[in-house]
Amino acid sequence: MTGQVVLVVGAGLAGLGAAVELVRAGQRVTVVDQTQAAGGAIHRQPLPGRPSIARTAEHRRWQSLMAEVRAAGIEIRTETRFGGIDSTGEVLLTGAAPGFLRPKALVLATGAREAVQPRPGWTLPGVMTVGAIQTYLKTQAAPPLGRIALAGSGPLLLAAAAQLCALGRPPVAVIEAGRPFAHPLAALRLPPGYLAEAAAYMRRLVVARVLILTASHVTRISEDAAGLTVEIERGARRRRLACDLVGLHDGIRPNDAGLPDIAPIPVVRLGDCREALGARAALADGRNGGRRLAAQLSGTLAPALSQELQRQRRAQGLLARIYANDGADRLATLPGDTVLCRCEMRTLDDLRALGPAPTDRMLRLDGRFSMGPCQGRFCAEWVQRLAGRSGPARRIGAARYPAAPITVADLLAAQKSREGESP
Amino acid sequence: MTPSPDIDVAIAGAGVIGASTAWHLAQAGLRVAIIDAEGPAAAASGASDGAVSVASKKPGVMARLASASLAHTATLAKGGPLSRAFRRRPSFLFGQGPEEAAALDALAAKLAQIGGPVSVENDGGAALLPGCGMGVDRIVRLMGEGHMPGHKAVHGYLASAGDRVQRIWPARLKGHEADATGVTLDLGMSQLRAGFLIVAAGLGAGELWPQLPLIPRAGQLIVTDSGPAGVLPGALTAAAYLLAKTRDGAPPPRPPVVIDPLSTGQYLVGSTREAHGDPRLNDFATIAALMERAAAVWPPLLGRRIIRIFTGVRAAVADGLPVFGTLPDSPRVLLATGFEGDGICLSALIGREAARIACGDGVTAGLEADLAALSPTRFTKHARWGAA
Ligand SMILES: Cc1cc2nc3c(=O)[nH]c(=O)nc-3n(C[C@H](O)[C@H](O)[C@H](O)COP(=O)(O)OP(=O)(O)OC[C@H]3O[C@@H](n4cnc5c(N)ncnc54)[C@H](O)[C@@H]3O)c2cc1C
Repeated sequence: MTGQVVLVVGAGLAGLGAAVELVRAGQRVTVVDQTQAAGGAIHRQPLPGRPSIARTAEHRRWQSLMAEVRAAGIEIRTETRFGGIDSTGEVLLTGAAPGFLRPKALVLATGAREAVQPRPGWTLPGVMTVGAIQTYLKTQAAPPLGRIALAGSGPLLLAAAAQLCALGRPPVAVIEAGRPFAHPLAALRLPPGYLAEAAAYMRRLVVARVLILTASHVTRISEDAAGLTVEIERGARRRRLACDLVGLHDGIRPNDAGLPDIAPIPVVRLGDCREALGARAALADGRNGGRRLAAQLSGTLAPALSQELQRQRRAQGLLARIYANDGADRLATLPGDTVLCRCEMRTLDDLRALGPAPTDRMLRLDGRFSMGPCQGRFCAEWVQRLAGRSGPARRIGAARYPAAPITVADLLAAQKSREGESP
Repeated sequence: MTPSPDIDVAIAGAGVIGASTAWHLAQAGLRVAIIDAEGPAAAASGASDGAVSVASKKPGVMARLASASLAHTATLAKGGPLSRAFRRRPSFLFGQGPEEAAALDALAAKLAQIGGPVSVENDGGAALLPGCGMGVDRIVRLMGEGHMPGHKAVHGYLASAGDRVQRIWPARLKGHEADATGVTLDLGMSQLRAGFLIVAAGLGAGELWPQLPLIPRAGQLIVTDSGPAGVLPGALTAAAYLLAKTRDGAPPPRPPVVIDPLSTGQYLVGSTREAHGDPRLNDFATIAALMERAAAVWPPLLGRRIIRIFTGVRAAVADGLPVFGTLPDSPRVLLATGFEGDGICLSALIGREAARIACGDGVTAGLEADLAALSPTRFTKHARWGAA
C-alpha cells in the first residue's frame, strides 16, 4: 500500500527545485526540513527579526525559486526530521508533527556535510566547523564573540572569512593547506561567476588586513585559561596563534543519509546529497531530477541529464586542483592519542591495537569506531584511510537505521499518531 | 598419494562457536587454523544480544546443556579467555496477563528440575524492581545467569589463543575431500590439508550441505545512546519471549521484548523471530511496537535516543535443535551449526566438546546422551554427506 505523495527531504535548492518540477508534472509533493525555515545550507534564512546577510544575487535566486514554490502550492513542513525509510516503504517523521508516511517516491536532498580531519585538539570546546560558524552568521546576522581562526582547505574558508569581515569581526587568520593563488591558469578556466565571487571575498580580506597563510597546516589546538592556541606548520616553519574560536573545514561530502537502499519505492538523491558540486549544480540537479522522477512515475520518457551538471563537475575538478594539498598524508603522522571518533573518544592507538588489516566488523565491534550516535558520519573516512583501505570509503560496514538519532519519546509519539488511523 | 596435513585441525567459521573451538584446541596443544569467509564475528555472533541464559531454553536437552555451558563459561571468565567478555548479573522476567503468568510458572518448575546454577531468587510484583513501570503484574528475579556480547567472546578467545591459532580470512570453504588420513579443504584460490575439519559456519553450512534443514531467523535490535550505567541491574525479559522460543511458530501474546543494559551504559532492546535471512530488513512498525512495550515497562528508556537499529540473522534448524557431531560417513569432519538464539550461551561447552572429539577423546562424561540428540545423523536417511 503506497500513498499518493512524493516526499522530498530537504528544503534547499535541490529539494525545492525537484518539488517545483514534480508539481508541474502533476505530482503531489510534501517537503520536509529539519530546520526552522526553508533555505538549505546556501540560503539559510535569518532567525525571525534578524536581517539577511545574503548577497543580492543570491537573494534574488532564492526569491524567484520561492515564488515558484508558492505558485505551485507546495507544502513545506519545517522542524520535521526524516528518520529514515524502512524496508516496507514507511517513512518515520519526527519533530513538529511526528508520524509515519507512505510516500509513492522519495527524494533525498539533504545536502552536504563538512569533512573535518582529526588533529590533536579538534574536539575541544570552541572548535567547530566553518560551516557551523557560517550558519551562525546567517541566522544571527552577527558574528560570534572572540578571536576567530579558520583553518583547513577550500573556498569556504575565504567565503566565511569575508562574511566575518562584513559583519565587523575579521578572523585573526585564515590557514589554508593548499596554495590556491599558485594556480592562476587553472583559476582562469573556472566559470566567470566563481572568479568574481572569489575576487569580492579577497577584496574584503585585503581591506581588513586578514592574515592569510597558505600551504599551512594546523597541527595542534590546545586550551588554557586565556583561550585556544593553534600551532601552525608551514614547511619547516612553525608558529603559534592565540584565538577563542577555531573553525575547521577539510572539504565537503555528500550527506547521503547512509540508509540501506532497499525501500520498495523509487528513492533518488539529488543535489549535494548525491554529489557535492555546490549551489549552482544543486538547483539544476534538483529540477532535472524532479522531471526525471516525474517521468519515471508516470511512465513517460525521461529528459536528458542536465548540461549544467557537467559544467559544475568540471569547475569542481578545477577547484580540487587549485586547492590540492598533502593534508590527508598527515593522518599517518598523528600522535597516537589523537581522537578519531568523537562520539566514543576512540583514538589512533585504539585503531592500531586492532592489528594489521582489521575487517569492517573488527573496526566496529572491537574498535568501536562508527558505533556512536553519528554512526561514523565524521570518522569513517579517516578510520578507513588509516586502516589502509584504498578508495573513498565513507562508511564502515553496512548502513544502519536511523538516519540520525531519534528519541524514544519521538518514536512513540509517531506510533501514537497511528491510533485512530483508518486501517 | 594424499599429502600429509599442514595442520591438525581446520575450523571453518570464526563466529563464537568456531573461536571457542579454536581456543580449546590450542589449549590442547594442537596446530589449528581458523578460516572465515569475511572475518571474525562476521555473522550472527556480531549481531546478537548475548544472554547466557538457562531460563530461556526449552526444557530438556537444551536447558541441561545451557546449564553446563554456563558453568564452563564462568570458569573461562576467571582469568581465562572470557574474563573481559562474560559478566554475571541478575535477570528479571516479567509478565502481564494469564498466558505470560503461565509461562513464568513453567519457568520456575523447569529451573527447580535442573537444580542450579540458576535459581529463582524472588518472585513477586512490580515492587521487586524499583523503577519499573506499568504493564507488569509479576516479576521473577533469577540469580546465576550472565551476559556475554558475542563479539567480545570471539575477541577474547582469539586474543587469548594468540598466534597458536593461524587466522585465514577472507577465505571461504567451498568444499572438501575427506580420506583415511585427513581432509583437503578447497578454499577457492588455494587448498589446505588438515587432519580434521570442523565446520562452524552458521548459515554458511547450509550452502555446503543443502540437505541440512537450516532456516534463517531474523531478529531486529535497537541500541540507545549511553547514560548512567547500572540503573537496571540486569536483563529485563518479557515472559512472551519464553513463549516465542518454546512454542515455535505461534505468535506470542505480547511483544517479546528483552531490555539489556550494556556495560557501555547503552540499552539493547530486542527482538523478533522473522522467517527471512536478510540483515538489511528493518521496519518501523515492529521497532515501535517493541519500544512501546519496553518503555512502558522500563520508563527510563523514554529519556534515551535510538542511535542504531539493525537485524541479526540466526541459523535455526527445522526441528528446533542445533546440529553437532561428526558426519555419518566421514568421522574426520564435524558439524557445529544451527544454534539459533542460543549460540553465545552454548559456545563454551560446544567448543570444549568439539575439541575433545577432534583430539579423539570423546565427549565429557555425562553429556553423551544430550549431545547425541544433536547429531547430524538424524537427517541422514539416504543423504550422502562426505563430499560437500
Ligand atoms: C538478534 C539476535 C539475538 C541473539 N541473542 C542471543 C542471546 O541472547 N544469547 C545467545 O546465546 N545467543 C543469541 N543469539 C544467537 C547467537 O548469536 C548465535 O547462535 C551464535 O552467534 C552462532 O554462532 P556461530 O559461530 O554458530 O555462527 P556465526 O556467528 O553465524 O558464524 C559463522 C561464521 O562462518 C562464516 N562462514 C560462513 N560460511 C563460511 C564458509 N563456507 N567458509 C568460511 N567461513 C564461513 C561466516 O562469515 C561467520 O563468520 C542471538 C542472535 C541474534 C541474531
